[in-house]
Order: sequence, then C-alpha cells, then structure tokens
Amino acid sequence: MNARRNAVVFGLGLATALLAGWLAFPRALYTRQNQPLAFLHKTHAGKSGYAECGQCHALREDGTFGGIPSLDTCTSCHSERMGTSADEAVLVDAYVKTGQEVPWLIYSRQPANVWFSHAIHVRRANLACTECHSTYGESDQVRIYEKNRISGYSRDIWGHSISRIHFSGRHDGMKMNDCEDCHRRHQVQVGCLGCHQ
Amino acid sequence: MKITRRDLLVWSAGATAGLVFTPVPYKLLGDLSIWTQNFPWIPQPAHGPVDVKESSCTLCPNGCGMRVRMAAGWPVGVAGARTNPVSRGALCPLGFAAHQLNWHPLRLRTVRHRGQASSWEEARTAFSKACAEGPIVIIDGYPGRAASQHFENFVQKQHGVYRVVLGAESRALTPYEKWSGVPAAALGYDLENARTIVSFGAPLLDGWSTPGRFTRLWAERAAGMAEPQLRLIQIEPSLSRTAARAWQWLAIRSGGQAAFAAGIARVMLEEHLVRASGPMPALTLAESAQQSGISPDAIRDLARMIVAQSPAVAIADDDDPAIAALNVVLGAVGTSGGIVQRTKRAKSYLSAEPVIPSARAVLIDSTVPWDFVPQTDAEVFRFGAWEGGPNKADWLLPAPGFMEELTDIPTAPTSAVETYAVAPRLVKAPPEVQSAVQFLGQADPDLMPVDKIIHTRCENLFRARTGTLCAQQTTPVATIPSVEKLEEQLRNGAVWMGEPQHPGGVRCKLSDWPQATRSECPPCDSLASWRAPVLPPLASKLYQESSLREESDRRNA
Repeated sequence: MNARRNAVVFGLGLATALLAGWLAFPRALYTRQNQPLAFLHKTHAGKSGYAECGQCHALREDGTFGGIPSLDTCTSCHSERMGTSADEAVLVDAYVKTGQEVPWLIYSRQPANVWFSHAIHVRRANLACTECHSTYGESDQVRIYEKNRISGYSRDIWGHSISRIHFSGRHDGMKMNDCEDCHRRHQVQVGCLGCHQ
Repeated sequence: MKITRRDLLVWSAGATAGLVFTPVPYKLLGDLSIWTQNFPWIPQPAHGPVDVKESSCTLCPNGCGMRVRMAAGWPVGVAGARTNPVSRGALCPLGFAAHQLNWHPLRLRTVRHRGQASSWEEARTAFSKACAEGPIVIIDGYPGRAASQHFENFVQKQHGVYRVVLGAESRALTPYEKWSGVPAAALGYDLENARTIVSFGAPLLDGWSTPGRFTRLWAERAAGMAEPQLRLIQIEPSLSRTAARAWQWLAIRSGGQAAFAAGIARVMLEEHLVRASGPMPALTLAESAQQSGISPDAIRDLARMIVAQSPAVAIADDDDPAIAALNVVLGAVGTSGGIVQRTKRAKSYLSAEPVIPSARAVLIDSTVPWDFVPQTDAEVFRFGAWEGGPNKADWLLPAPGFMEELTDIPTAPTSAVETYAVAPRLVKAPPEVQSAVQFLGQADPDLMPVDKIIHTRCENLFRARTGTLCAQQTTPVATIPSVEKLEEQLRNGAVWMGEPQHPGGVRCKLSDWPQATRSECPPCDSLASWRAPVLPPLASKLYQESSLREESDRRNA
C-alpha cells in the first residue's frame, strides 16, 4: 500500500515539475512588450511599390547595414497624419513632430562584441532575407517582443522553442551554436575573430 | 487523506527528478551566465547606431590603418583598413583588441606624486617652478608628430632639450646616418623591390615594423612557393616564428651576428662578388666561423647566393654597425631593393640616454616605453595612460588612452615611401586625464596647439601638390580642390602617400670596418627580450595562452 502511495506521490511531483518546466517556465521567463507603433510591412510594401527588403533595409556603400530606416524615411510621407488610427497619431505627434527616433524594439539585438555582416551573408553567400527573418516582411502582423527577464535579450536570440530541439534540423535562434551550425552546413569556416572582432 | 511529511519528501523527489527533464536548469544556467556578463560594474557600451570610422593605430609609431566599429559612439571592435597603403589591412593582435585598453584595470586615472594621490594643479605648480629654475628635458617616443613639434617649440622657448627614445627598427638605421649624413628618420627599406632579405634576428614575420607590410609581401611572393620571388634568410640563434617560416634559417651562435656579417662581407670582397665599396673586415673567415658557429663553407655559399639573388638587403634587429657595414659592402645603401632615402625633409634626432646629468626636470611623454627609466636627480614628470611597472617618476600623470586624443601619424620608421595620416579623437577622454601637450599648453598658452600644427602640415601637403590620398578611392592631391577638403579626408581616415623617391642620394663613407658592436646591448634576439606590455584581455589571450609569443624559457623545448 505504502509503495503504491509513494509511486503516486512521486509521479505527481514529476508531473508538476514537467508541466511547470515546459509550460509555466517559458511564460514566466519572458516579458511581453508591444512595439511603440504597429508598423505594417505588407501595407507599406504595397503602397511604396517596393518588392525587395533591401530597398528599405539597405546596405550602405561601405558594406555596413543600414538596419531599420531612420525617422527621415517615415517623415517623407508621414509629415502630417495620413489616417485616423491611434498609431498614426502617435507616429506624427510623438516622433515626427519632435524629431525623436522611434525606439523600435530590436528582435535581433546581440551583445556589441559580436560582429555580423549582412553584406557578406546577403551578397557573398546569397542568403535570402527570409532564411533568417522568415516571411515576416510579407505580413501585416506586428510581432510581440519577448524579453528575457534574466539575460535582457530577445527571445529570438534563444529561439522560440524553449528546448532548442529542432527535428527539421533548421536553426531557430541566433545563438553562437546557430551560427556555427549554419556555417557547418554551408561549409564556411570562420575563426573566433570572424565574429568577435 | 492525510498528507504526511514523507509524502512531501517523495513529491519533492519526484519534482526534482522531473525538473531534470525540463529546460529549466539548462536555460537558467545559460541566462545566468549572460546575466553575470551584465553586472553593473562591467563597462557596457551603450546600444545605439552602429557606425564605422577609419583611423590609424597609435599604439606604436607605425600607424597601421584601422577600421573602428562604433556602437552609439563607443568603439566596440577594431579591424585592419585595407585602404592603408602600408599596413594593407593587417593589424597586430594588440591593435585588434586595443579598444579594450581604455577599460584596462591598470588604466591611470589619478595624478600621483611619489606614490601619493595629488592633483593636476600641484603638478602644474611643480612643473612651472622647475621651468623657472633650470633646464627642462622633454623625452618623446614617436618623433615627427605635431605633438613632437609642440614639445620642440616648448623646449626652444625654455632653453631646454628635446630627446627621443627610438624603437629597435629605427635604431637599426642609425649607423647609416653617421656614415652618410642622411637622417635615419629619412631612411627606409625598399622591401618591395628586394629579392633577398637577410634578417639578423629581426622578427619580420612576427610583428616587425608595420606588420602588414612584410607579411603581405611574403604571402604574395614567397609563401608556399618552391622558387620564391622573395627569399628570406633568418640568422638567429633560436627557431623563432620568423625563422620557422623563412626560406632558410641559420642557427647562429648567440652574439655572433656581427662576426657572421663580417664573414659574409669578407667573402664578397675577397671573391670580388661585389664592387669594392667598403672596408675589409678585420676578422678572418675562420674567426667569423668560430664566433658565429657557422662553417666557413656555409658562409661562402650564403655570400654567393645573396649576390646571385640581388637586390638584397640585410636587416638588423637593432643598432648593429657590422650589419649596416655589410649593406654598404653589398651596395644595398641608396639602391633599389635596399636602403633608400624616402624624403629630404626629415631631420636628425638625438637619442635620450638613460643617464640625464644636468636637468632640473624631465618630462616623459606617454609614447615613451615604460622600460626607459631615466637615471637622474631631476624631477621626473611621467605621462602614461596605463601603469607600466616600477618607475622612478616623481610625478605620475594620467594621459589620454587609445583614440582619446587627436594626433597625426608621420611615416612609419622603416617605410620606403613617405606617408601622413591623422588619427582623430574618436572617444571622449575622461576628465581626469591630460596629455603632455595639454599640460605644456597650460604652462605656455602661446604655443601653437596640435590641431593648428596639423592644419599647417595639411596646408604644406596641399601646396606641394604631390602624392596621392588613399581612401576608398585613390586621389591625386593635385586634384583635391582645397586644403580643407584634404584635411577633412585625412581626419576621416585617408592616408597621404608621397611619390616614391628615386634610389640614390645616400652615400656612406666608411673607411674602416666598425669595431665595437652593441656595446650597450647584450647579444639578444628581439623575441627573447620581448616583455609583455599592458595588454587588453583579448590580446593577452592571443599572446599568452595561444603562445603566439613564446616565453624565452619555453623556446627550443
């Protein structure tokens, strides 16, 4: 009788830990934050007629990556309100008129000691933007920014699977292991100083 | 059903066992390790726009071109700039991690007077008193800069003395100055046109001079080739990294370089391999062989091969008149592929001796190596960005660190062509530090500031209308519309490169083979005498853990 009771209680403890570890822990670990504005990629691409990511997220002449376009790019169309949405009002009143850059939450922000060249990956390796950024640029869905409470980095760095187990073999995050995996698959070797210059 | 203490223990055991099969311990371990990297006392560069600035390294006089990656205005990475015509994209390991130096634990941040905390005001008062009482000596480590001119102007007004502490590469050129009258600062090695280089212990492939210059040249003309276009013969007692990669390594007896050079010269003259343009060494071939540990046949073979594979040049690792005399005999002075005069504008500098007999005060710039310790009763004002070890300075004055002050970069000491670059101030210096130039400028406000001296030098370059400006594109100076444009480009990392000088103009008068060699320097090779300076963490790792630089007791093990 005692042995059976012990087994049940042990099983309960085991189940509680598994549920907490796989379901509650990831939710507790990350805070969820909205972007300052709901930027609609698909709408902007359609209205501007831009078909390529690089037309807005351009590489500079010296090969460095321009990243998110600056406020000047927004101002060229949004110097006055173009609609009635709350986000439009925030954009024009809080940022365009004050000249303050929009504090976008960067999903891919890495420590500053890591050097990553978009130019090398896009031009030399011919990687498509969607290889790393998925088809986010083709949707009007605004992603929630999930920030790790302990490390302070975005969930995109670790990857969305908390276990980091990918049966497809494709990387999901932006940890050093992911860089190494991708380089191994493409048979491109870089030393320590390739990324940590 | 009653829950007992035993139930709780069993439940905990189950929970603990279950926890192992969840990501919790592994994820927490990773996140906590990242959290520890972000402790508040660890300096963190601000997050912000990433930018790349081009500049020149100021850690040594060679001024390799570098690209500095800035995040929110702070340097977070350094890489070599391919646009620099001399360094050609290469940097030494120290340069690669130099942006970390400003946060080094040994960074000097307070004025110290004989070991006690003091203030700039007290230092200025003491220096002004010293200036009023007697002669001042200013010692500079990188002569030829705008700051150097500032120092010279100051001592001229104060009736003081300006002295320099030259590096080994510059000292190796001083015998030619004595014999030809051409300042050593005007001379350089025309390595690009040489077919054979005989290096007497100079670490040509391990950081010698501008590291990128010879390593690129060697990679293009020698590495992996059965019949290289450029032959490097390393004469050195131990198998250094340069010796290991050279075309030929001759394991000479320690201290036998001068005798070996004499032996080669004797063979060349006796066998009429060269035009008799130098004196016959006093040493016989047998004596040379005995002192150097190399057989007479090997010396003969080498002498014949050097002449057959000319243009050839011998490079000493320090001031060694016998090796310089070998170049005279070889006819490598003032000829293509040898030692050439790159400019007619350079002037001679007097080297600082450690013993300074009569001076009221000695001011040592932060560019002077820490192993220069003056033996003097004078009051010593020592500038330094980092604590470099025991010293006898009365005043230890914190200087700006890497990229924290505007400076200009004259030609690298061994370069065959004249260059000029400007290293702008990319980082704001902490308020508690001052450069020697600022210090002197407060003592004498009438001195021309460094930025005006740089502007004047830019005007001179613009008026001369010669040379080219090397940046992303190469632009002849004659096509640049204004001096302001020229200065702007230089401050943005461009490098001015002069026209290559025609060989000739250096005629050495050497009647007797030099007797005394290295009286002040014990026989040594440069790696054995190398000591770790203040290094940033990454460079420390590269240099020490990966044994890029071996400690002397580990070599030949």
